[in-house]
Amino acid sequence: MSRVQLIFQNYQEKITLSFCLLLSFILIFNNDSDSIKNAKINSLDTFSFLYQPFNWLDNQLFLNKKLEVLSSENLRLSLENQVLKVHETENIRYREFLNFKKRENIDFIGADVISKGIIANMSSLLINRGLDDGIVKNLPVLSSKGVIGKITAVSKSSSEVQLISDVNFRLSVKIAPDEVEGIMRWIGGDLCEIAELKKISDIEIGDIVLTSNLSIYFPPNLPVGEVVSIFEKSDSSNRVVTMKLFSDLSTLNQLFVLLDEVEN
Amino acid sequence: MSFYIKYFPIAVVLQLIFSELLTFNGYQANIMLLYVILFSMPLGNTSQSTLNGFLVGLFTDFVLFSGIYVGASSLVFSICGFWASKISFNFAFRNFDIYWISFVHLGVLIYSLFRYDFFFFNDFFLFLSNWFFVTYFTCFVGFILISLFSLKDKILNA
Repeated sequence: MSRVQLIFQNYQEKITLSFCLLLSFILIFNNDSDSIKNAKINSLDTFSFLYQPFNWLDNQLFLNKKLEVLSSENLRLSLENQVLKVHETENIRYREFLNFKKRENIDFIGADVISKGIIANMSSLLINRGLDDGIVKNLPVLSSKGVIGKITAVSKSSSEVQLISDVNFRLSVKIAPDEVEGIMRWIGGDLCEIAELKKISDIEIGDIVLTSNLSIYFPPNLPVGEVVSIFEKSDSSNRVVTMKLFSDLSTLNQLFVLLDEVEN
Repeated sequence: MSFYIKYFPIAVVLQLIFSELLTFNGYQANIMLLYVILFSMPLGNTSQSTLNGFLVGLFTDFVLFSGIYVGASSLVFSICGFWASKISFNFAFRNFDIYWISFVHLGVLIYSLFRYDFFFFNDFFLFLSNWFFVTYFTCFVGFILISLFSLKDKILNA
């Protein structure tokens, strides 16, 4: 028996483990390469049928509850809409009077969640809209209550959404009514932290957090959450705010992808 | 080996049920990790068990939409498959539970290092709480599944 064969026989287990680890690391370090991305998207496209029975079951199980929630939400929004219509007419009149540029309408497309992923504590999910529906990378994704993430990969008929709860997700936000701008990141559950806020800024608990005008991918004034606590770091000139997301990330089923803005 | 293959479709279906229907505050039990650990334990051939872990990991990353880096599951499952098979030479009824629970801790720890790398360096307490929450949820589901399918006896007699 040759020396190489003898070594392989003695260290077979360790060689196999090293080989598997090496291949895994090669895959991990090449995650951004087009071939890996395409392979992932194609396999998701091919095997998305696996999730359909579970999605159907999920929808059936919670249909009554969803209907109940939507009905009450609908009533609340109808009442709010009446008030807003009056304000809108007034606002349009003032804007015309001051010769302001017309605002742009937001166009969106509805999507169902195909999979929430199998890794504990979701960082991304899969939706049933893709290139065929006009979806492209980096489009903002919302639930009925507010921003939940953005598109990170698109295939013919499905797309991957990076959620706010991904630790690498950052969003430029502003806190109404003073429009103080900061950078938001998820810290756990339905809580996020907004950093880089000026210490002199006037922020109160219950203030609404919206997307800022500085974001490249997100249009301004989309709802994100509300302020729940404010604290100041003694070693910094900035304030840190904790906010609660409007959307419940653990019960996402129907989402909306914002397409390009259309002019009025 | 047939034992390993026989339970694979069941593990996939259970994982899909848990990921789509039985999440707890956004956390999910990692059934595929449980599957690799439990069914590698009776395998005497460590190389085969490592390779099985690697292939199940690839399947998880590409087909089951793991949501993190492609290759992370194959890395975790290769390591867990390797060590779970190693203990087959020192296997006893009384320490069956302690073995698989330890491997779940190890597997979720490696997953967490990828998933919560930011917390590991910036907020270690949050990293620990995420790691333990996922681990104990997976262990809780593991206990139920082991009792439900009488896996302890089946694995020890495999």
